[in-house]
Amino acid sequence: MFQKSPQTADALKSSFARQNFFAVVALFAALLVVPFVPGVEGWMASEMSLVIIYVMAAQGVSVLTGFTGLVTVGHGGFLAIGAYTSALLTKYYGVDLLVGMLGAGFMAALIGCVLGLVFLRLSGAFMAIGTLGFAFFVGTIVNNVPIFEGREGISLPKNHVLGLMIGDFGFYTVAVAALGVTTLMVFMLVRSSVGRAIMALRDSEKAAESSGIDRVFYRTVAFSFSAFITGVAGALNAHFVNYVSAEVYADIWYSVDFLVATVVGGSAVLMGPFIGGVFVAMVPFVFEELADFAFILKGVVLIGVLILAPAGIADVVARPFRALRRRRLAEARGGGV
Amino acid sequence: MTSHLRCENVTVAFGGVVACNKISLEVEKGKIVGLIGPNGAGKTTLFNVLSRFESCREGDIKFNDVSIINKKRHQMIGMGMARTFQNINLFAGQTTLDNILIGAHHRTGNPFSNMLWLPAARKNEKAIRDRAIAIAELLHLENELDNEVSNLPYGHQKKVELARALAAEPEMILLDEPVAGCNGEETAELKEIVRKVNKELGITVFLVEHDMSMVMSVCDYIYVINFGTNLAEGTPLEIQSNPDVIGAYLGEDVE
Repeated sequence: MFQKSPQTADALKSSFARQNFFAVVALFAALLVVPFVPGVEGWMASEMSLVIIYVMAAQGVSVLTGFTGLVTVGHGGFLAIGAYTSALLTKYYGVDLLVGMLGAGFMAALIGCVLGLVFLRLSGAFMAIGTLGFAFFVGTIVNNVPIFEGREGISLPKNHVLGLMIGDFGFYTVAVAALGVTTLMVFMLVRSSVGRAIMALRDSEKAAESSGIDRVFYRTVAFSFSAFITGVAGALNAHFVNYVSAEVYADIWYSVDFLVATVVGGSAVLMGPFIGGVFVAMVPFVFEELADFAFILKGVVLIGVLILAPAGIADVVARPFRALRRRRLAEARGGGV
Repeated sequence: MTSHLRCENVTVAFGGVVACNKISLEVEKGKIVGLIGPNGAGKTTLFNVLSRFESCREGDIKFNDVSIINKKRHQMIGMGMARTFQNINLFAGQTTLDNILIGAHHRTGNPFSNMLWLPAARKNEKAIRDRAIAIAELLHLENELDNEVSNLPYGHQKKVELARALAAEPEMILLDEPVAGCNGEETAELKEIVRKVNKELGITVFLVEHDMSMVMSVCDYIYVINFGTNLAEGTPLEIQSNPDVIGAYLGEDVE
């Protein structure tokens, strides 16, 4: 029906894509070598694992809050589901860490799918309150259902991957690799027709539906996908300390931290969760002695970001690059068409 | 006569207010058909029923001889009917290209294979992208492809919305006031585009518009409704000289 005219801009676009790809590969290579940099000690490697977990959980939140436009204050619930699923699998069935992570992801995705359907009519502040209720619901379950052993907690066997016992460094490597996979997943989601559909629903539900986008289906997909990633982060969180307890997972702070990380970093930017996750995970270490001050700082930074850069820090960083690329692209089109 | 779209006694009510009262009309395949009437006549309500944003209390609507009154909103595109909105309804933060691509959503195939970037999905995606660029060129939007639509001038935004509807490759397109708020130059361009869409792409056009010069010059056939009921129908010439229509728009002479 339609004929396309030649575009030199395509070549330029693929060169931008290549640059992005190499930048991300470089980032992950840097993450992997951090523990081996002289001066970095073992305990720091293990703290770095915690940063990775926060980044991953924030990625899950960004799929729902950033790309689908549904604010969630309940992803601590999915973190808990992931953590307990993997914990029970490794404790009672002795499964591999990787299997535990996959199981955690799928269990969280299943519950996310159900939750997405239950919350089908909610949006905005109502969605925030609904998901908050979900986090409390999960907290109550792990506190009171016997198999989860409440505040006593469950101690887990040592981590093994593909039959090998792993220590702090090994665990960190697994975490970075898992983050690589989830980053790729989010990237592929966002750059596919599904990503376009969820962003369209976010920007104008009416126009999206009349463009043929099935609201029920895509919202449910977004919920499941988001829950999957945060569930995997939950599994890592459980095996990071080899211990799960309602003391930790019935708390609302995880949910809030992930939301803060997503919003501060930039919720609809792929690099947003990296910046936000590092920020939220590192603040308590920086203020070791003044734990209360960490809370205040998080709040101040959150408010500052919301006022000065509502799209997040990553967006501010990316803006000049984007403008430059757009200019070069416009030049290419002007000369090419 | 091959009837493409047929509304029979469509009645829509919001509580006690009857917005459309037994409206019947037919749109012939391949034509440009206009729907006019004074403000509050029920034109947009009828369009909303056609695109399933409202449901009708009575009557039936058949599109290609299939009743659509139990279809869901997102199914209409698949049946071959696309629409634009009276107040521009674009995906504001996204680029022109992305907006057009969303219009082609129902041609994207299996979402799971798309998420996995399987070879077939990538090939299809490339075809859809090429077609979106071709549509942009047809509407002279090729230099705006990578610009955010919220930064575009009003006339361009109107065109992006039309391009999004065309990307679905529909059989019929519903235009809700395509030139509302446009200046003379923009109106002339959109008029040309509507003709091109109809003649070159063979898409049936059903439009609501208040700009009478536009309606009279592009439409093959016109329906007039007033207070939610059918008032008149005919070719532009017949409508222009119809005393009921003149009465509805200008008020009747007091004898």
